[in-house]
Amino acid sequence: MSARDSILSAIRTGLGGSRNDPAAIAAEAADLLAAPETIRPPLVAATLVDAFCEKSEALGATVDRIGSIDEVPASVGRYLEGQGLSAEIAVESAALFRDLDWGDLRPRLAVAPDAPAAVGLARHGIAESGSLVIHSGKETRILLAFLPLHHIVVLRAASIVSHLEDYAALLVGHETSPRNAVLITGPSGTTDIEGSYVRGAHGPGFVHVILVFDA
Amino acid sequence: MNATTRTGFKARSDAALANPTLKTAIDRTTGTAERKRAAALAGFAEYEAARSRGSAIKDHVIANLDHYLEMFERNATASGAKVHWAATESEACDIVIRLCREAGAKRVTRSKSMLGEEIGLPDALGSAGIERVETDLAEHIIQLAGEHPSHIIWPAMHRTREQVAELFNADHKPPPADDEAASMVQSARHVLRGKFLSADVGISGANFLIADTGATCTVTNEGNAELTTTPPRVHIVTAGIEKLVPSTSHAMALLRLLVRSATGGELTQYTTFHCGPKRPGDADGPEKMHIVLVDNGRSEMIANEFRDMLRCIRCGACMNHCVVYRQIGGHAYGGTYPGPMGAVLTPVLDGLAQSRDLPFACTMNGRCAEVCPVEIPLPTLLRAWRGRSWRAGLEGPRMRAGLAAWAGLARRPGLYRMASGIGVRALRLLGRSGWIGSLPFAGGWTRHRDLPGPTGGTFMERYTARGARRPEDRR
Ligand code: SF4
Repeated sequence: MSARDSILSAIRTGLGGSRNDPAAIAAEAADLLAAPETIRPPLVAATLVDAFCEKSEALGATVDRIGSIDEVPASVGRYLEGQGLSAEIAVESAALFRDLDWGDLRPRLAVAPDAPAAVGLARHGIAESGSLVIHSGKETRILLAFLPLHHIVVLRAASIVSHLEDYAALLVGHETSPRNAVLITGPSGTTDIEGSYVRGAHGPGFVHVILVFDA
Repeated sequence: MNATTRTGFKARSDAALANPTLKTAIDRTTGTAERKRAAALAGFAEYEAARSRGSAIKDHVIANLDHYLEMFERNATASGAKVHWAATESEACDIVIRLCREAGAKRVTRSKSMLGEEIGLPDALGSAGIERVETDLAEHIIQLAGEHPSHIIWPAMHRTREQVAELFNADHKPPPADDEAASMVQSARHVLRGKFLSADVGISGANFLIADTGATCTVTNEGNAELTTTPPRVHIVTAGIEKLVPSTSHAMALLRLLVRSATGGELTQYTTFHCGPKRPGDADGPEKMHIVLVDNGRSEMIANEFRDMLRCIRCGACMNHCVVYRQIGGHAYGGTYPGPMGAVLTPVLDGLAQSRDLPFACTMNGRCAEVCPVEIPLPTLLRAWRGRSWRAGLEGPRMRAGLAAWAGLARRPGLYRMASGIGVRALRLLGRSGWIGSLPFAGGWTRHRDLPGPTGGTFMERYTARGARRPEDRR
């Protein structure tokens, strides 16, 4: 008997031999998601945007609010200058960014292993936890979110969802799932040495959100 | 499977109690963890409801485990991953080593996984001559020290900052700037960066397996899981079969419990769903993804008294709140998993004869069950092992004779009262200062701490003094 068959048959024997009807199992699984408001914290602010910002900032991220995508380069420039970083910057190859006028900044598609800063695009924000969601894809390199010391993330205010389940509902079936869906919740950190918190472990030590209100 | 099981629990815990720096190191981390968890739950009014729901989700999965395993296999395969099944730890290691060889791997990076430790993967890779690079900071520390994890969330919590500095100074080129935690983290970031990008295979575990997408979920605070699984040609996941959940939404409900209970955060910095290998046209990602589903004793637990243990989401809260763990640390337990959950699991994994001391190393104060986010009745499970140990005749003759004598007394109330009266007076004599510093015939009780002296008479004396009637008078 293959390992697969022996494991499955041991499980079935352990469960008493009878198999449940798939429809009944699915109904029970759906019931376990009922009344989600009773098993999750309410938002900390009245609007999705305010709740998202409050959570992100509590996690150590910084947020800049702008009125349109065209203002992204200026916002990035302000951040780089404030941090004393060079104008040479890795930028995700999103079509949205390609058409922008980057002015004095020098956007590069490649991200070096020790890149000081990179600009990426988030698909969603999650207000409950202040998380940014990125999906791997043709334009989105996962490493762009992990190699740089400063991760600058452009997020459209309209794409913020309320709770974790609201995002999870979008990932049903492997067809809708990208290779990697990453929820980024604040800068990378570790408490592995004596439990004391150190910011910037392997991933970015700084997360800066550029929130775009272009409706 | 763990090399430290050899020397015996009593000898190891004696050594741990005699180690002055160990207690400090454990207290620093568990103390912080306890405070942060309490603060996180104070801000989560829905916790009790979330906790019963979380337990119900895990129970539902276990009750339909065959269904969910097949569903996961179907969806993972459809996403392009290859699913393998391993009944035992050695089967699991063989599969991983074969996959590494097929990939022509010289160097593999590994993102912390307790299942990997359970199946002995670090040693198996070593014997196969494959260079293994641990990428989690704590795992990096214990790899340099040649040790096993002493905690499931903070594997290196038994080491002080100064001890870590010593290891890094010897290994890192250039060495860290000083022995502050921040400089050492910086140094590890620098040293490991090049290794991430040059690995042939990346190996991770999974906190959840999502049945309806076929994805595996990892949570880390450092970002090492994504750096481990993205650059190499091949990503291998090893995961226990109990890690299944029906959907991503169910995983979210459990993540809220897991993270708050483990670190006191609301969500880890990185929560990643890995669904298959690189898609056509993707900017990065591995060409191949393999998922090894490991049983290693789990399917047997479905039918016996340890079934509740399959709900465990490996948060570590039970050990952070355990009075025994906080005295002796993780290594004394001798298995892969320490603390209360380890005392239940190690006999399953290593056999009761090897590990019968563990279920007895417990005061039954019930703290672990109170803090467990999936309501596992750990003391009840430990008692079940004690019962099995007794029935299997694993108790020594002294223990058997002692218990027989006690049982004889307990059945004769008059005699029992007399004996306990003598006992309490003797203890009062020994503990005139309020504390007993040494006990004849029971030195183990007082070697590392004082026993509080009794302040009054026996229980029955005080009970009657309060005006209660003796049970036999109650007619
Ligand atoms: S037994 Fe409960 S408290 Fe302990 S690690 Fe498992 S889930 Fe956490």
